[in-house]
Amino acid sequence: MITSRLRQRPRLFAIAAAALSAALVLSACSGGSAPEPTESTDPVSGGTLVFGRTAAVNDLDLNQQITANNAFAIDKIFEPLVNFDENGEIIPWLAEYTENADGTEYVFMLREGLKFSDGTDVTPADVIFSLNRHLEVGGPLPLTAPIVSIEETAEREVTITLESAYTPFLSELSGFSNGIFPANFGGMEEGEFFRNPVGTGPFVVSEWDLTGDLVFVKNEHYWQEGKPYIDELVYKFVADDTQLRQQLGAGQLDAIDIVPAANAADVDEADETVLLQTPGWSTEQVFFNTQRKQFADENVRRAIAHAIDREGIAAATTFGTAEVANVLIPTNVAYSANGEGFDLAYDLEAAAEELAKSDYPDGFSITLMVPSGNSQRAQIAQIIQESLGQIGIDVTIESLDIAVFRERFREYDYDFMLNSGQLDSPDPNGFITFQADPEGFSKSYWTHYTDDRVTELMHEGRVTPEGAEREAIYFEIQQILAEQVPYIPLFFPANLKATTADVHDFVVLPNASVRFQDVWLSGE
Amino acid sequence: MTTTSGRSTAARVATALGLLVARVVPVMFGVVVAVFFLLRLVPGDPAAMILGDRATPESIAALRAELGLDQTLWNQFVAFLTQVVTQFDTGDSLVTGQSTRDMILAKAPVSLGIVLLAVLLAVLIAVPLALLAALRKDGWIDHVIRVLPTIGMGMPLFWIGLLLIILFAVELGWFPVGDVGTGPGEPLRSLFLPALAVALSMSPPLIRSLRTQLIEVLGADFVTTLRAARIPERRVVTRHVLRGAALPTFTLLSVNTAYLIGGTLVVEKVFGINGIGTLLFTSISNRDFPVVQGIALYCAVAVVLVTTLAGVLSALLDPRLRVAR
Repeated sequence: MITSRLRQRPRLFAIAAAALSAALVLSACSGGSAPEPTESTDPVSGGTLVFGRTAAVNDLDLNQQITANNAFAIDKIFEPLVNFDENGEIIPWLAEYTENADGTEYVFMLREGLKFSDGTDVTPADVIFSLNRHLEVGGPLPLTAPIVSIEETAEREVTITLESAYTPFLSELSGFSNGIFPANFGGMEEGEFFRNPVGTGPFVVSEWDLTGDLVFVKNEHYWQEGKPYIDELVYKFVADDTQLRQQLGAGQLDAIDIVPAANAADVDEADETVLLQTPGWSTEQVFFNTQRKQFADENVRRAIAHAIDREGIAAATTFGTAEVANVLIPTNVAYSANGEGFDLAYDLEAAAEELAKSDYPDGFSITLMVPSGNSQRAQIAQIIQESLGQIGIDVTIESLDIAVFRERFREYDYDFMLNSGQLDSPDPNGFITFQADPEGFSKSYWTHYTDDRVTELMHEGRVTPEGAEREAIYFEIQQILAEQVPYIPLFFPANLKATTADVHDFVVLPNASVRFQDVWLSGE
Repeated sequence: MTTTSGRSTAARVATALGLLVARVVPVMFGVVVAVFFLLRLVPGDPAAMILGDRATPESIAALRAELGLDQTLWNQFVAFLTQVVTQFDTGDSLVTGQSTRDMILAKAPVSLGIVLLAVLLAVLIAVPLALLAALRKDGWIDHVIRVLPTIGMGMPLFWIGLLLIILFAVELGWFPVGDVGTGPGEPLRSLFLPALAVALSMSPPLIRSLRTQLIEVLGADFVTTLRAARIPERRVVTRHVLRGAALPTFTLLSVNTAYLIGGTLVVEKVFGINGIGTLLFTSISNRDFPVVQGIALYCAVAVVLVTTLAGVLSALLDPRLRVAR
């Protein structure tokens, strides 16, 4: 027995020794000769990037779309004459431009050698056709500038003449809905063209499931040298945002479009994922239907504004990712007066005083309408309910399916609601108009609010050139809105997206679109 | 060949089919009509959903006209019925413009794949466990098997799904965390966890039902006789006992399967699968009437087919159900 064990031991010992030596040799080899990979800063071409989104692309007619699921596919295919960068600055894009002294004439000089994805040259005729089609169609993001003519004035040159100066013009032109496409739809029938669109953008549609994924391939004729770096871009439809994060973590997706604020910290801390948090162009707000007698009373609205702790709401419901809003215009937009102290501070005593001055000193019962399926808004509603309870306003929360929610507020069948306003391009005019113009179809974002001074300032702001005078106009607008509170801005949500560690230069624009021509993949 | 009643097999089959059609058509018609009118009673405008918050009233009105939504309800209904009967299609999607039939046919396979795999797994889970529990009645195995399903019944499907993802996909990496992969064997690998989640949530009542039936049959006289005749226990159980006990559980299984055909929404969402359930959910949210109607019709047809098939299989299982006419 003992002898057999001794006989076994040397064999075991030999095996162990051999294994240990091998391990030491291997570790010496790997430790010494192969250097740690350094962070490469030079973009690498090639690869497929799979981008997870919670909605499919169902329509690429750029003049008729506004919803993000379609808009951010459209802007990969079609491009406008001018564009905006990640700071919201207007930059030349398909054309360089000059503006005359009184702002009534803009001359656009198309880049030399500019081609559509089918290899045909981009000409002034294409620009004229595209912009005229947009003017004809109107659409949800119409060109509201007072355009008199769009003409070819020289080779590669288009001149747009306005009836009068219109300062937001270039900003409007920079929107995705003003993309340039071939005149006469390149000979195709209109519907057929938008199923197989041709533009100057970095990507071309290769496969398209209208209730599923959209596959882009790179545009071989793209005007930016060397770009796009990736060969293929897949917009993958993943209906659930938990699945988005799980697939990203497992490497099934390279990037995802949405990270709920509650999960931002986890995504940031995980080794395999990178969080991208950038300032956005939207404002989360409480909107009052000023046709309701309680909310026709300015003192009531001011009381409610004083009773709501916006900092607390931003901290609790956005997990610190959003910036507190003191005014309507987000801080990364020109002429935002967020730091000017216009807002009504969180002060329950002041709230009670305002309510005492109103026609409802003893409070009242009212209903707060929110769209269902949004846990952040559900939480905000509960906090508001709790806060207003302290000043005698009894709030019932009505949570509705989004389709019903929309129908109700569009019919002014609500008391007050949680919703958000959004900019599509850098100039604040469009945003202010939508929210404060009683002549606009939304009647001031369905609040039915009107103030003659604000209306006057809005019109002035459109014709005043950029500078201190224009700033004063928008500051005054924001001040009046903050005092009269037809809506209470709560916070400016950040754009929260995520990628794997292999994705680089993932540039997110303020409108939440991604500049995919700049993105490259390492480890391919 | 004729039976003792004098009618040929072919005639009997023809009569059975005729009766089936006579039963089925009114049911499907009723379902489709009910869904048509209920959808239009629910508030929410498809055109407003397609165009978004900032659409002008004019653009919404124009889209409604384009989609035929400005027609009277009766006109819409007649157009709809005509299309269903002549083309077996409930119309083009208001959102994508595609034929609803084509959309459903494209998405159905993956959802049906989950259902079939789930049924198979449910049987593979339930039968052995129920057998074990019945044969070891009142033993510790029996107690464990009786308790576990009770816990399982209390766990919602999405929770089971998430646990499976965390364990088998994220931690162990044996399966993808979601979506349906392409490539050899990938679809099966992708659908395994979703099907398992469904099977785990379906099996508790199956286990309980089958166990109860098995215990009853095991106590029957014919089983005693078989055992006395020294037939091997294995053969007694598999060939005689199981077959005798299976019917109520089989009925339960077929009802669950029929229900599952339109009910894969939760598991599809949890596992990121773009199937009929996801399509149904997005279409309801968008008020995409033709697609919702189409899926309702598809579910009605599927339920009818499954219950008919179950009826045939039941008759094969239990000859007492084959009624001689």
